[in-house]
Amino acid sequence: MSSDIAPSESTTFWQSIHQAQATMHSLSLILGPLPDPLTFSENPTTSLLHDANISHDIKSHLHHPDSGSGDDNLCRWLYDTFQSTNPGLQLVVLNFLPTIIKVYLSRAISQKSLAGFEAVLLALYAHETVIRGGEPQTVILPNLTNPSVYHEAKTPTKSKAVDLNIAVLCPALEPFGTVRSTKRARIIGVALELYYNNLHDMPLSSKLEFCEFCVDWAGYNQSLEEEKQSNPKTDASCADQQGEMIQVKGGEDEHGKKGRRIPLPWELFQPILRIVAHCLLGNSNSEELKEAALVAAQCLHLRALHDMNPQAILASRSLLRLAKMPGDTIFKPHVVNDSSDLAASQLASKD
Amino acid sequence: MGFDCDGEGREEDGMASVWEVSINGLTVKTAEVEAKLDEVNIQEAESSLREGLSLNYEEARALLGRLEYQRGNVESAFRVFDGIDLQAAIQRLQPTFSEKPASRRNRSRTESIHQVSQHAASLVLEAIYLKSMSLQRLGKATEAAQECRSVLDAVEKIFQHGIPDVLAEQKLQETVSKAVEVLPELWKQAGRHQEALASYRHALLSQWNLDEECCARIQKRFAVFLLYGGVEASSPSLAAQVEGSFIPKSNLEEAILLLMILLRKWYLGKTEWDPSVMEHLTFALSLCGQTSVLGRHFEEVMPGIYPRCERWYSLALCYSGAGQNRSALNLLRKYLNRHESPNDVMALLMAAKICSEDCLLASEGAEYARRAIANAQIGDEHLKSVGLRFLGTCLRKQAKIASSDHERTHLQAEALKSLDEAVVLDCNNPDLIFDLSLEYAEQRNTNGALWYAKEFIDATGGSISKGWRLLALVLSAQQRYLEAEFVTDAALDETSKWEQGPLLRIKAKMKVARLLPTDAVEAYRFLLALVQAQRKAFGSSKNSTQVKDDKISEFEVWQGLVNLYSSLSHWKDAEVCLEKARALKPYSAAILQIEGSMYEARGETKDALAAYTNALSMDLDHVPCKVSIGSLLAEKSSKSLPVARSFLSDALRLEPTNRLAWYYLGLVHRDDGRPADAADCFLAASMLEESDPVESFSSIS
Repeated sequence: MSSDIAPSESTTFWQSIHQAQATMHSLSLILGPLPDPLTFSENPTTSLLHDANISHDIKSHLHHPDSGSGDDNLCRWLYDTFQSTNPGLQLVVLNFLPTIIKVYLSRAISQKSLAGFEAVLLALYAHETVIRGGEPQTVILPNLTNPSVYHEAKTPTKSKAVDLNIAVLCPALEPFGTVRSTKRARIIGVALELYYNNLHDMPLSSKLEFCEFCVDWAGYNQSLEEEKQSNPKTDASCADQQGEMIQVKGGEDEHGKKGRRIPLPWELFQPILRIVAHCLLGNSNSEELKEAALVAAQCLHLRALHDMNPQAILASRSLLRLAKMPGDTIFKPHVVNDSSDLAASQLASKD
Repeated sequence: MGFDCDGEGREEDGMASVWEVSINGLTVKTAEVEAKLDEVNIQEAESSLREGLSLNYEEARALLGRLEYQRGNVESAFRVFDGIDLQAAIQRLQPTFSEKPASRRNRSRTESIHQVSQHAASLVLEAIYLKSMSLQRLGKATEAAQECRSVLDAVEKIFQHGIPDVLAEQKLQETVSKAVEVLPELWKQAGRHQEALASYRHALLSQWNLDEECCARIQKRFAVFLLYGGVEASSPSLAAQVEGSFIPKSNLEEAILLLMILLRKWYLGKTEWDPSVMEHLTFALSLCGQTSVLGRHFEEVMPGIYPRCERWYSLALCYSGAGQNRSALNLLRKYLNRHESPNDVMALLMAAKICSEDCLLASEGAEYARRAIANAQIGDEHLKSVGLRFLGTCLRKQAKIASSDHERTHLQAEALKSLDEAVVLDCNNPDLIFDLSLEYAEQRNTNGALWYAKEFIDATGGSISKGWRLLALVLSAQQRYLEAEFVTDAALDETSKWEQGPLLRIKAKMKVARLLPTDAVEAYRFLLALVQAQRKAFGSSKNSTQVKDDKISEFEVWQGLVNLYSSLSHWKDAEVCLEKARALKPYSAAILQIEGSMYEARGETKDALAAYTNALSMDLDHVPCKVSIGSLLAEKSSKSLPVARSFLSDALRLEPTNRLAWYYLGLVHRDDGRPADAADCFLAASMLEESDPVESFSSIS
């Protein structure tokens, strides 16, 4: 955040501050008075995004048995906050997306009205639909016989039409006014894609929760545990920790809300896997996140095997294999190598 | 400025063996300098270096700092480096380098200038680089990145036209390479992702004269960053573009391009094999559903990298993902050969699944599934239910082509048994519940089917369209048309416009079954409008994948209308619809059969028979045609009864649940004087009528 802001920018800057303060004010009407450091923060949107207490309060509200109905004030707040078109505030809403999806999916089976959650999800979906402008998301696969920015080809084919392979990552989105049950997975999937695009700005807690929810959604944590017990030879190094984690989770499940496996069509599985991949292999310093992501990836792999979906099996299998490979060590041994010419000789001299 | 020595005497790296620093033809023992450093007396150490090696202030400090750094004293190294005005040193270096070699004649002279200056540059740049590394080790990633970038900026200022291959001194090149490689990592550590992105591209798109391995490392790290970084990158700038070259437009495209280039480098023997590259590419290509392209890469991998079994399995996954199930199955057969690994559960399950989709392969599939179940007991207990499920579906398919009633009932019972076993092991699996419901429905146990169909809707929250269709059909089989229509309407509410086709078709047939022809025509009209709109909207193949599963062909609609109108004896309308249908599919047995039935209804038996025979010659296994011929012959004369019987039996062999066939067969038996057989047939016909869905259950899966 630069301190010297041009006059034209400063008005928008102040506008966004005002917007954030108004948002916080309306939040305080729902949650009760907010803590002072948050209210008087210099950068309210960032504080709102990263404040652990507020996050906790909002999440427990979302988990409340009566949440998510059409007249749920918190859902309305989330909806309004997202519609503010202030990118910082939109991140605040995305922060809670894993929780919203988790609670929504666990209740979607019941006949309860979930219009509040659905309004938020539809807002995210509509936002992404507008961004994409009705076009499908495609990926052009390069043909290495033609040159690219990163390589030269020996025989550039001029006359021939370039033979391109176009893959559809996500088909064109239709606008939806309501959540039809057969479109639920698509809408949530697109909301998750939006979450994925902003992953870098998401607080750690949000990602951690997402990974934990994945384990429930995949629905094979039990099998994973059994497998670990039955053949302990599979990478013993991290098996212990995972076993513990799953057992802890199992304990929670017995107490109350048991995580229920959900249908995971590709349109949902794909964004979930991308997010887990980021948590597992992205540039995160948190070992906790990596462990949670590893468990999630294992459960998703088992789910892929059960569903016998080749794409899902290949993608999740690769994630697990990559997680086992040694990480990038550019900084650690590099320093040692670097000094080898002199330091090694010094060691020799001191002997 | 710079060094004032002759070119030959410089051996900066010579100290490795004698623990001395030799520069400008002079030598200083490192131990002496170190002793001074140990006394924390930088000034003294520096002056002894300056005197001993006749260096200027910056150079002496640079050397000293390196010494400290290499001893692991990061903090004091940083202090030493911090005392140097490196920018000034760089400025002094610049002018020498801006003199471009004017002509080939005085090349030797300029070369020596280059070498001299390069040496000074090397020392100074290395100092900045090491300062950056010290900062990194002190945990100041942002400052480290800024220092590191200043190395590269300096290099770009000094060598304005890229680093010349032949001229670059080894030490200098090493420093540059390291700095280029490290900079994006430093930005990443500092959490400055856009800078990291820019520096990756800068590293790969500018001329740094990097060696292949170093370049490959950067490319791989960049691909990883693009794939998992969670930061959306804008596409590379147009400045880097060569005409006609491919420019990636998204993270995924760029990552895939880089990974493919890396693989190619390995094929060409330029770099070492790195297994992670293939895994990253697998992940990226699977995500966008391009497993056929991935398969090609697996094929290209040199022998000796993957064990052949693993390669077969990976390839089978790729082909199966690309819809080439036959190729996948052939690979799996090799894999499951008794000389390879006949008991691999994953491959067995995969093979069983592929076989379960084809009647002719079903028995082979059942065998694979049984082997999978037997082997799953040892290690992968949880996969047993998957095996049981595929065993069930394979047996169901096998039952469809069973040659005898006895065999069929046996297979059906077995199928149900294994599905029941599976659901005990994995009671939360909606797919399994669906399979069970379908199995019960096909065996005409409508109560069982109904229970599981409802269960499936509950388990999936109504999110899967085929569940709704199954429930509606099961209800229609119980003759509960009103409820079935409620379900269909509820399902229509939960389905978006483009995917309503199959539901509208069921609805139309439901109206026909309820003897509401006007409503039925209305429903068909809706359906026709949808189909035609779909054709217009997705006329090109652009979005065909999206709606492929639920697409209704226009032909089907006309066919339904012909049936409807001819049942109402509206011959004119029927004719019109028939022509429409014929225009879409000129050689269709179904159309000829309908035409025949129209002749028949008008009493033109000869023409009817001719039409049926023509239809049969187009499709030898067309069941409705066989039934029609059978019925026609049965009514014709007592002489033709045996022929009629053979046609009807043939129809029943192909479709045992065809109630009309049973009915006409009953008539044949009655007329032929076999009342007991006739009674059996009529009983079968009436039982089937009571459990006949408006449309075959096999239309769902």
